[in-house]
Amino acid sequence: MNAAEGLDFAQTEVARASLDHCVKCTICETHCPVSAVTPKFTGPKFVGPQAERFRHGESVDHSLDYCSSCGACTLACPQGVKIAELNSQARAVMKADHMPLRDQLISQTTLMGMAMTPVAPLANAALSIKPLRNVVERVLGIHRDAPMPKANTQTITGWLKKRKKPTVKATRGTLIFFHGCAGGYFEVETSKKSIEVLEHLGYEVLVPKQGCCGLAQQSNGLFDGATQKVLKLCDELRASGRDLTIISSSGSCTGMLKHEAHEIMGVDDSRLADVGTRIRDIMEFLLELYDADELPTDFKPVPLTAVYHAPCQLKSQGMGQPAMEILGLIPGVEAIESGATCCGIAGTYGLKKEKYEIAQAVGKPLFDKVKDVNPSFAMCDTETCRWQIRKGSGAEVEHPIFLVHQAYGLS
Amino acid sequence: MARVVVIGAGVAGLVAAIRLADAGARVALLNKGTGGLQLSQGTLDILGYAPERVERPLDALAGFAAANPGHPYANLDAELVGRAADYLCELVGPALLVGDPAVNLQLPTAVGAIRPTALAAPSMTAGACVDGANFVIVGLRQLKDFYPDLVAKNLARTDLPGGGRLSARHVMLDLPARAGEVDSFGLTYARALDDPAYRRRFAQAIKAVVGQGESVGLPAVLGVDDHGAWAELSELIGAPVFEIPLPPPSVPGLRLNRALTARAKASGVRLVPGSKVTGFRSSGGSVDSVQLATAGGDRTFAADAFVLATGGFEAGALSADSYHNLHESVFDLPLRRPEGHLVHGDYWGDPQPLFAVGVETDHTMLARHPGGDPVYDNLYAAGGILAGATRWQEKSGEGIAVASAVLAADSILAAASTATTQGAAS
Repeated sequence: MNAAEGLDFAQTEVARASLDHCVKCTICETHCPVSAVTPKFTGPKFVGPQAERFRHGESVDHSLDYCSSCGACTLACPQGVKIAELNSQARAVMKADHMPLRDQLISQTTLMGMAMTPVAPLANAALSIKPLRNVVERVLGIHRDAPMPKANTQTITGWLKKRKKPTVKATRGTLIFFHGCAGGYFEVETSKKSIEVLEHLGYEVLVPKQGCCGLAQQSNGLFDGATQKVLKLCDELRASGRDLTIISSSGSCTGMLKHEAHEIMGVDDSRLADVGTRIRDIMEFLLELYDADELPTDFKPVPLTAVYHAPCQLKSQGMGQPAMEILGLIPGVEAIESGATCCGIAGTYGLKKEKYEIAQAVGKPLFDKVKDVNPSFAMCDTETCRWQIRKGSGAEVEHPIFLVHQAYGLS
Repeated sequence: MARVVVIGAGVAGLVAAIRLADAGARVALLNKGTGGLQLSQGTLDILGYAPERVERPLDALAGFAAANPGHPYANLDAELVGRAADYLCELVGPALLVGDPAVNLQLPTAVGAIRPTALAAPSMTAGACVDGANFVIVGLRQLKDFYPDLVAKNLARTDLPGGGRLSARHVMLDLPARAGEVDSFGLTYARALDDPAYRRRFAQAIKAVVGQGESVGLPAVLGVDDHGAWAELSELIGAPVFEIPLPPPSVPGLRLNRALTARAKASGVRLVPGSKVTGFRSSGGSVDSVQLATAGGDRTFAADAFVLATGGFEAGALSADSYHNLHESVFDLPLRRPEGHLVHGDYWGDPQPLFAVGVETDHTMLARHPGGDPVYDNLYAAGGILAGATRWQEKSGEGIAVASAVLAADSILAAASTATTQGAAS
């Protein structure tokens, strides 16, 4: 199935079938973080189930491009309408014949990591040079102040090769770890700590060679590339074992595998269905262990009060906020829920010149809350959101697994 | 510690979950989307029509239940309903809900009708439709869900429930909530009015059109996070101000929903929104677990007791096919079905029998076979799923929901404590 067939399948079988369930209750409108801060986006109901009725192969309402695809509308809809999915599909159609070079470039996440890691100090320095960023904004349309990842000198693969083998014997079986591009190149510490926590619990952790899930391309409407990437990734993860649970500490990439590739792009492939049902967000996995009375809770106290922000693409997986439950088990930790729907970045949305201000306005209440509760530290499960919250609040922002790692005495 | 799963996050589900969690139960609240409370008027109806307009709802309940056997109020007496209404007031606080559950307020609607309700937001009570009241109804040109001339003219021509008339005139103002937006929905105004600077500009424009002795009726958009916004507006304008609820999105409903949801989180309820319960397992006459269809596949939620608070037909909790086969969506529970045809052709006539379809319960809110025994020994039902009420005509929805939720929660806690005592004895 190619991307065009996939899109057709997704539209007719997945999203459009839900259209008639819309009762125009406007609940989605009240949850939209974008229309709350700008009149440029008329909101999910108007652009989604209403405008969809006027689309016949083309998108008539161009404010659609301002949807950030955070998915808050679909999550809130009590009638099961796939609002965000409809909008993502319509946007892909709308942009198909004039895809900006910028959108093609910023969605190449693996490429960015591969290019930046060997020259990390240089890359980091370059990204902080104002005049250079001004040129990039003018030529490419990436906002000069947009948050950028910090390149690491060591990738997760590099660390795995050099590290000492785990001391705890694996008694609880084997897991596959999926780190995602950001967890491989930029947020390497999150991947390391996740692996170490799992090993501490008594699991053997396999980390196969793995590529990108294609999420950034998907959210930019580049369904061809994204479909190829996600299926290649499924093959790579499946090669390590056909019945093992897959664990990820990359909140949004997990969502791509669990549902977005299928529901938005219509990838209807047994390999994706297999990986998508075997994968667990790491905090979700820990909570499942806890519910089954299988999670050791011999946590050392960690005296910390800090904001925890559940990313939109984690919430859209419909599993609640497992991290809040796990953090609540650690003595001394007081995690304050951010209460924010989205941090604004929504993958690559907040990097774009014309959307930067909107993304900052969406994130502002969250940044303010972080500054108010604990201006030096906050928690969030997804990489790009952490970059956005770090930039917006000035706080150090890390994955909640950092606290679990510390509470188990591993750091 | 009892583990309880509550399905549905309308007012019934939220209240049951909070009450259980506050009593020490481990509660998971599963809901496929935002609950109906957000779409409500932000008031608490107990009984408005029986079928004549009701002035004192708690006094009327016993007679109403006797005249309507099989109505949910047959299991929920006036003492319980009054206590449950007070409990809800306590949960959301006096900034969001005031009044005496024994006495109905008569408040204006967005079409200028007069609606009986028991409790209301404090921002609404100055709109009580009593003899000699003097209103100016103010509309906003950019808010197209509210027509002040319709409201004022209808109110002024109505013989009031308590006797007499009120006077009302209307004014339309040009007051954009956001620069360049010609069509704003209510929440956009409410967000703007959370900002003190916009509030002052708004108050100035209104003050200029208010006459001596007039109370100001406004669309219910007077702040969303700032629950004191309306009071400050009233002070700035120098006249009593009241909110009139709009069609959805209802800002007063949103305020209540946010307050109760925050309260549930503070009580330690585990909220799992956005996924549908698609199956369950039972053994030995008890429900053991439900299956939640999350994005990554089914997840099992096991519990000692379950509360079904999924709503009625409008919520998809009940369905009827074209042959009028009826179905309850989660547990496939047996439903009570009125005799004869479920739908009649007289639109303005008697309530449609279809709307009385629902789940029947015993006096502890255990779902039961119509006229028979409980279906499972640990599955309770509350709110809009209950058989026998035409809630929107009776104006009885929130009263039934809150009282049945309190009763279901208390029954679960009582059963859990009995089980503990028996366990300790053996």
